[in-house]
Amino acid sequence: MLRNALRKDLLLNARHLWGIVPWFLWVAYAMTEPEAGRITAVGAAFIGSLMATTIGAREDKLRTTATLASLPVSRGTLVEARYLVAYIVGAATYLIVVMAAGLPWSVQRAAELCELKTLLLTLTLASAAIAVLMPVVIRFGLLGVLVFLGVFQLLGVGLMVAFEFFGSRSSVGVFSAIERGIAALHAGLEQPVVILETLAIVGLAIWLSFRLSVFLAKRRDL
Amino acid sequence: MSGAHAIELRGVRKSYPGFMLKDVSFTLPSGVIGGLIGPNGSGKTTVIKLIMNLVRREAGEIRVFGLDNQSAEIEVKSRIGFVYDVPGYWDDQSLDSQRRALGAFYPRWSDETFRRLAGEFGLPLDKKYKALSHGAKTKFALAMALSHGADLLIMDEPTAGLDPIFRRDLLKRMSALLQEEGKTILFSTHITSDLERVADVITFIRAGEVVFSLTRDELLDGWAIVRGDDRVVRELDPRLVMGVRRRPFGVEALVSDGDAVRRAVGGRAVVDRVTLDDVMVLMSGEVRHAA
Repeated sequence: MLRNALRKDLLLNARHLWGIVPWFLWVAYAMTEPEAGRITAVGAAFIGSLMATTIGAREDKLRTTATLASLPVSRGTLVEARYLVAYIVGAATYLIVVMAAGLPWSVQRAAELCELKTLLLTLTLASAAIAVLMPVVIRFGLLGVLVFLGVFQLLGVGLMVAFEFFGSRSSVGVFSAIERGIAALHAGLEQPVVILETLAIVGLAIWLSFRLSVFLAKRRDL
Repeated sequence: MSGAHAIELRGVRKSYPGFMLKDVSFTLPSGVIGGLIGPNGSGKTTVIKLIMNLVRREAGEIRVFGLDNQSAEIEVKSRIGFVYDVPGYWDDQSLDSQRRALGAFYPRWSDETFRRLAGEFGLPLDKKYKALSHGAKTKFALAMALSHGADLLIMDEPTAGLDPIFRRDLLKRMSALLQEEGKTILFSTHITSDLERVADVITFIRAGEVVFSLTRDELLDGWAIVRGDDRVVRELDPRLVMGVRRRPFGVEALVSDGDAVRRAVGGRAVVDRVTLDDVMVLMSGEVRHAA
């Protein structure tokens, strides 16, 4: 049944996933920038999984959620397929960036993009996006995604305003702190302890998110 | 609960803000066509959604072919063909893609049956779903529902939006499914003539409550409509009076025992056979008073 649910998500939502294609124009350009390879690969996987996470919102808009719930498959299996699709699409977009390193104008090395620490960082960031957004999509559909993104926008604007007018540091500092945090994690992912800790946290976050999504999906009236 | 019933609801409750389905109980025997009627907002769609476990019941029990519709959800749904009032499919995908993706979920799915039905319904399989008219969308939903050997067909307002020719064809198909394949069908509708034509059992829901669930013969042969003056109607046994409507030249009363009322009123009032339209109007609280 999981195989059918996966097939259904990939077959019937292929058009939605084509929305990632414009990103690859940027990828093709980024291959000419000496320092952009890793960030492009991580970003592609992040965007790919985020896009796949919003399949539920699209299906909500098309009113197919009730059609799916009338099929002889549990809502838990449908949710499981959603998580798997998000990871599959994330992995596929990452792979495309790695392959793009072979473009004639590329200055990137594919082997560098496949370093364990970069793969782990990608897994961590993509998992974070999936873990946070998926329960919202499962419960609230398209409205959930819009509210979620809107809240994040407002939060970002609010932070910038707060730091500009009332803080001692500029808003640029906030974003560079995030950037430094990601860079520190990337560097730390060479140490076995950090790797294990990160995998444990990512696993726990995804497991909690999955359980919450299944719980919400089962309780949702369609 | 008996295994001879295709659908059994016992004391089912569900509430929404401003609406409550109150202890709904009725049964639908296997191998019959059951019709759900009632005014708008009476709870017909909620009952269908509860059977399909699309909404969660707050109390009560729902069994389909003797199986609990929640604990045996997958088995139950593999035996049901479902047509939603507003069919929801993937707009930008062809009918054939949807057939491939969704048919795979059903263990008894038949591509041959689907293609035959699509041909009979005039469905262009290579066209995108969004290119179809409302009627064609319903036909597609129907073809999907009939292609996996379902033992029970549940349809919410299936004839709404269909042209009279296809509506008649659909009703014929429903009767054929019953007679030739022994299927059970439950459908909701506002079109009482459809019910009179094919339904064996009629369940009337009003304001979230089942008012009656009777065979068509029990209803149309047993019930009656009394037309006379106000005094005659007031003398009737109140337990038999199901609804009253005042008209410019007297009163109409819907009664649940036509023979008893005929004997009671003698020649003082006209006692006619009832139609489902009469039942709908007189029991829906839409009482029209004389000017």
